[in-house]
Order: sequence, then structure tokens, then C-alpha cells
Amino acid sequence: MNLSKVECTHCHLDFDEGVMIKEEDHYFSEESSTEQTTIRYFCCTGCQGVFHLLSDSGLDGFYDKLGTKKLSAPTHTFEDSSSFDTPSFYQQFVRKNDDGFEEISLVIEGIHCSACVWLNEKALNRLEGVVEVNINYANNKAKLVWADHIVKLSSIIDMIRSIGYNAYPYDPSVQEEKANKERKDFYLRIAVAFFGAMNIMWIAIAQYAGYFTGMDQEMKTILNVAEWVLATPVLFYSGWVFFKGAYFGIKNKIVNMDILVATGALLTYIYSIYITLLQEGEAYFDSVAMIITFVLLGKFLEVLSKKSAADTLDVIARHVPNEVNVLRKEQLERISVHEVKVGDIIEIKPGEKAALDGEVLQGEGYFDEASLSGESHPIFKKEKDKIISGTICVDTLFRYKVLKDFSHSTLSRLVSMLENAMSKKPRIEMLANKISGHFSTAILVLAVVTFFVWWLWPHSFDRSFMVGISVIVIACPCALALATPVATLIGLGLGGKRGILFKKASQLETMAKAQMLILDKTGTITEGKPNVIKAKVFEGFDASLLLALSTSSLHPISQAVSAYTKESYESLQTYTLLSSKQVPSRGIVAVYDGKKVLGGNAEFMKDNGITIDIESEYSLFFFAVDDKLMAYYELRDMPKEGVQELFQMCKDNAIHVVMLTGDHKNTAQKLADELGIQEYHSDLSPEDKANFVQKHSQKVTVMVGDGVNDVLALAHANIGIAMGSGSDISIEVSDIVLLNDSIKSLSEAFLISRRTYKLVKQNLAISLVYNLLTIPLAMGGYIIPLIAAASMSFSSLLVVGNSIRIKWKWRR
Amino acid sequence: MDNGIVIMMLGISLLLGALALAGVLWAIKTGQFDDKDKMMNNVLDDGEDALNEAAEKERRKKDYRPE
Repeated sequence: MNLSKVECTHCHLDFDEGVMIKEEDHYFSEESSTEQTTIRYFCCTGCQGVFHLLSDSGLDGFYDKLGTKKLSAPTHTFEDSSSFDTPSFYQQFVRKNDDGFEEISLVIEGIHCSACVWLNEKALNRLEGVVEVNINYANNKAKLVWADHIVKLSSIIDMIRSIGYNAYPYDPSVQEEKANKERKDFYLRIAVAFFGAMNIMWIAIAQYAGYFTGMDQEMKTILNVAEWVLATPVLFYSGWVFFKGAYFGIKNKIVNMDILVATGALLTYIYSIYITLLQEGEAYFDSVAMIITFVLLGKFLEVLSKKSAADTLDVIARHVPNEVNVLRKEQLERISVHEVKVGDIIEIKPGEKAALDGEVLQGEGYFDEASLSGESHPIFKKEKDKIISGTICVDTLFRYKVLKDFSHSTLSRLVSMLENAMSKKPRIEMLANKISGHFSTAILVLAVVTFFVWWLWPHSFDRSFMVGISVIVIACPCALALATPVATLIGLGLGGKRGILFKKASQLETMAKAQMLILDKTGTITEGKPNVIKAKVFEGFDASLLLALSTSSLHPISQAVSAYTKESYESLQTYTLLSSKQVPSRGIVAVYDGKKVLGGNAEFMKDNGITIDIESEYSLFFFAVDDKLMAYYELRDMPKEGVQELFQMCKDNAIHVVMLTGDHKNTAQKLADELGIQEYHSDLSPEDKANFVQKHSQKVTVMVGDGVNDVLALAHANIGIAMGSGSDISIEVSDIVLLNDSIKSLSEAFLISRRTYKLVKQNLAISLVYNLLTIPLAMGGYIIPLIAAASMSFSSLLVVGNSIRIKWKWRR
Repeated sequence: MDNGIVIMMLGISLLLGALALAGVLWAIKTGQFDDKDKMMNNVLDDGEDALNEAAEKERRKKDYRPE
């Protein structure tokens, strides 16, 4: 049967017409005086419910705002919302604000677009008792304020769920609030700096013009006073960060760039006031404003690219299940993971994640341990086998006895170790910081020397002071301050366009200095799932039957066979199998049209009386009908495309490559030999991997991984890189994310960072050379305003122009 | 040109500019630029409803305040 696809009225996803819920709405149209019919289709009762809820409460304007965007269909399985009203929950997440209202921070799941934000805010605002709701579009975080004596939090959560979204609380730690405050503070200072600098510039243009055409002293003084008024807030309000930085620098006996900026700007300011009051000579208020504005801009670019670690931990905490089903007095009870004791019996359903470590009492089936061990195939578990928290039950219902309480179970131990590791991540000192320290010291010394030489030569104090200051002014660190941020920003932009997300600007430099590349095997070097590499079919083979059989199992091997069949054959028919049964660690057996259909490994065939004399170093899948072999397939986890090129690039750049894996030695060795990897370590636990990375902390390490098993190692490495398809946790912990999952992006990340770093070095060299040329002029007392202004803009322009060259190599 | 006129023009333009700056600073401080995507989208939803809602929000703050 060929059905046409129709769109769900609520979520706009396309489905076959046959599976949709059809609804006809008859109404009388006054315009045409006839009865009209509107037909609506819904993919599920969830969508239908949400649609009617919205139209009944007058919120159907949502669909106009949504346009053609697609939503995800609402899910039905939620934890009981009454847990939101418990005292322990309140203690952890709910605060009282200054007005006496309750306040909580939530993350809203399922937000796709601005229409979703609009809908959630409208719906919640209509609820009696809700005082304020503010949802952030970018990170889906919401601040909710409500009056607890009028409405309970659980009712608010129910409201969010009823319109097809879900909400869970998070703890907005001090860290996050601090980061937000810092950003806002910078906005304010930048706004003032820009206002001051831009207005001073147009006044300065008049002064420069007057320099050539002649301007009387009175007019000069008027303009100087106007500039003075404008420069004052720029220096003392916007420039406050530099004074603060200079103070801390002096306190810790470190000469930093802030000292140079602060002293340079302050002395120039004082000198300019002196000139203005004296009513002769040239004032440099424009330099004061420009220095502060440019350097502040450079600092701001760095603040913008900072990602708060707090965000990361919120997402991690979400991955730990909150509640489990515990068997008490022959009854299942859903209780918090913290209340489970050792010896309790937990029931776990297919698709659920184990929250606590334990031992199987009842049930036989598969557990997906890929996220913890990197083992590419699900592991078969039977009675007395151990269950590790964080692994996912694949196909059957299990009951298991708890052996360790929650805080000692693998998953939560991993999370707490992670929190530790993230706060202790090794950092490399940036080149620009190193240089600016020496540079600042040198300039200050030169300025002082110049002043004394001039004074003792003999010149008047005024003249000597002015020449001394001009050394600091001309050495205006604009170019130096912009050298790194501009280049890295262009590098980040280039990476972003090519699917490489650097989370912080400074990582480009660290990555460029990498000495060791550590790779996870499954999912990083290899595809992470088996693929058919060889297929052989015999007479009487029916591809449609194989498809029906292979799709009935979730095992990766049969999934791979199913995908291969779909790809290789056209016009496949849909068969309905009778009594399909999975035999653990063996295969699948089913009946179709009175025939016995088998699919599985060699042992399974032997068990069913079929002799197999085919052998392979890779996994084999056999397909038989009525005890006659119809086809067999050879499958393996293939290395990703571009791996060889990556290794070659590493070799060329003297980067040592290491492969780490939780897999067996044989599998690891085979792959290492094939790809020419010199160093590899197998049978590693997540902790072992992290230890390995830590052991090599004297080198600059880059760790690439995808699963939860790599998270600790990612956090310990100088640079952690996660594959885009990896688990959310590993993406959160990593410093760089490769969105398209390809090894080619990894090579490109290396190339972009190296090129950016090279240009940062060039930029620093340019600004230093520029200063080398102009400082002698200043020391000789030849600096006129024109040279000062030209020097400032030219050096900055050169640096910006040079940075753009990063893109050249990638231009098509 | 009389210097007095230049002083007056400079003074007035700087004052007007300062007023605009004060407006921007106030908007930043009260969080109106915190979420730039939402800010741009809210322009589309602006209207009588939004005003009513703002008034309603103020009313609720007063009515619900616990003693």
C-alpha cells in the first residue's frame, strides 16, 4: 500500500496518512453563508491534546508564529510532578526573592524557535499565581517567579508539560551569575567608551584640520575642554578595569599590560589637562580615549568567548537518573536514587539507564555499555552478572540487587571526579601575555630614562616630561592588545563555518602547540558501529524476508544488515513475521508463511542443525530459511575516512599519536597495525584513560573522544575534542566540538589553529616592529600629533588586515 | 565664527548625546539587551496584548505579595 504523507497540524512532522488521527471540524462561514469543513491531522494524541488546549485557551496564535517550522512530538513519560513540591526539592532549588516570592531556575526542553518561547511565556503568564517568567531563547533557561500560596510549583510544571514541553530545575551557581554580571558590566563600559571615543574623534578631526590651516589658541582651548569632558568618563569609568588590573599587577609584582595602559592613559590625560590650562601646545585626549576603547574591546572579545563551566555541570547532572523503581513488599515504588539502600531490588525496563551498581537477579538480555567502556557491541547479562550504573538496558526487563549506594556507584563517582578535573584543567600561558609583560617593563624604563636624559641634558622640566610621556603614548599598546583577539576571532569564525566549534579563543593557541594526540578507538578512529563489508547470497534468497527479520532486532549487527539490505535492493516488500523471538548472544528466529526463518551467528546456525564452514576475522551474520543457508554477511567497524591523512599530518608536525581503548587487545592491535599507530593501550577503564592523560601532563595533550568513557580523559587533557554525535556530556566537557564528526575536521582544526597562531605571532611582531620604529622618534622629541595618530591607526589596521589572511588558505 | 556659538553647539550636542547614552545604559542595566534574539523577536509580537500583560504583571506583583 502506498500512502501519501501528511503533516501533523501541531508538530508539522510528516507521516503516512494511514497512521494519522483525522479530525473534521464543521463550522458555518458567515462570509459565504455555507457550511465549511476543516480537516486536521494529528500524529498522536499528545499533539491533538496540545492543539485543543491551545485553541481553547486562545493561544492558537502560536501556529502563526511557528510558520513552517517543525516541532518534536510531545512525549508522555514524565516523572511525577509532585516530586517538585517536596521540601527537599525546595531546599535545593527554590529561593525566596526580595519581594517574598518563590524563584526557581529551569531549563525548558523542546524549545525550537521564538514561537515556542512565546507560547511558554504566554501560557505560564495566564496561570494565576505566576508573577514573572522569562525564558532565554539562546540557552532555553528560564527564570520563574511565583507566589507559592496561590499556585504550587507542580501545577506550573504540569502546565509546561501539557503544552508539549518539559522543564527540569538547575542550580544557577554563583559562577554563572558572576559571568553574566561581568558581561553586563563590560557592555556598560564599552558603551561609554565608544560614545566618548567617537565624539572625541570628530572634535579631533577639527583639531587636525586646524593643525594645517591654522587655528587660534582660543578655539583650540574650547575644543580641548570638550575633549576633556568626554575623555574623563572614558578613562575613569571604562578604563577602571585597567586601573584594577594594574593594582593587582603591582601587588603581585608582575608588570602586565594593564600597568602600561593605565599609566600611559593616565599620564597622557594629566599632561593634556596641563596643556589645556596652560593654553599652549597639543593635548592628546583623543589618544586617551582611543587607547582605552581599543584595549577594552580586545578584552571584551575574550570575555564574550568565555563559556561558563556552570552551564556544563548543569547538563551533566541531568544525565544522572533521579528516580528508580524499587521493589518493596512485592510492590514497585518509584523513589529518589538517594534513598535507595544497598540490598534493595531495582527493576529496570528496556531503554532505561541504570543509576546504581548492582547484580542481576532476574532477566537475561543485553546492556549497552558503549558509553562507559567503549565496547562496540552490547554485552549479554544473565543472573549474577554485574550491572554498572550509566549503562543502558537494551531489550529485556531486569531485576537487580543494589551493591553500592548512589554516591559510590560508578556514574555519580564519574560525575564528581569530572567536577574536580574541570576545575583543575591545565592552562598554558598565552604568548601575548608573556610578551606584553616584557614590553610594558621595557617601555616604562625607556620613558623614565628619556625623561631624565632630557632633563639633565638640560631642558625645562615641562619639555622633558612631555617627551617622556610621548614615549608611552606612542607605544600605545592598541596593536599589541588587538593582535591576539582579532586573529583568534577570525580563526574561530573560520572554524565555525567548517563545523569546528572552539569554545574559547585561547584554545586555538593551545591547540597549535599540541605535542601529543590521544584518540579513542570506537566512534573516533572507527565509525563506532559495524558495517557490512562483504555479502554473499545463495539461490532462493529473498531480500524482503531478510529485511523483515533484521529490522526486528535492535542489535547493532542486525541493524547494520538491515541498513545494508535497504541500500542494496530496490522495491522491497513489507512482510509481517509471526512469533519473532530473540535468542540472546545468538540471533533471531521467526516464522513467515509457515517457514522457519533464522538470522544470527555461526553458533546459532549450529544449534539449529546447519553446518557452517565459513570463517572470518570479523563478525559474521548468517541468514537461513527452513534450515537452508540463504546468505551471509561479513561486518566490521570500519576506520573513518581521512584517518591516514590525519596521521600523516601529525607525523609532519611532530605530533605523537596514541590510541586508547576499552576494547580487547586483539581488536586494538589489529587496527593499530592496519593504520600504523605506534603506541596504543587496550582494556582501559575511564579512569585508566584519564590517568594516562594526566601522566603526560608535561606535554601539551589533545584528547579526542565521543563517549562517556572518554569524559574524564577529555577533562584532563589540555584540549578535549568531542565528536558531534557523541554523548552530550562529552560535548559539554570538551573544548572543541567537531560537528560533522569527520576526521577531516580534526585535521582542519589543527591546521586552522596553527595558522591562527602563526598570524598571532606575526601580529605581535608587527606591533613590536612598529614600536621599535616610532619609539626612537618619541625619545628624540620628534613626535607631533599627526605621527601619533597615524602610528596608532596604522599599526592597528596592519594587525587587523594581517589577521584576515588566516582565511586565505581556505578561500575557494 | 563667534567662539560663543561653537561653545553652545558643542555643549548642546554633547548634552543630547549624553542623554541618549544614559538611555542605552539604563536599558542595559535593566536587562533589555540580555537576550538579543528574543529582543528582536519581541518586536514582532509587540502590541496591545504586550502592554496589557505588562500591566497585569505589575498588578500581580502587588496582589500576590505575601504579608
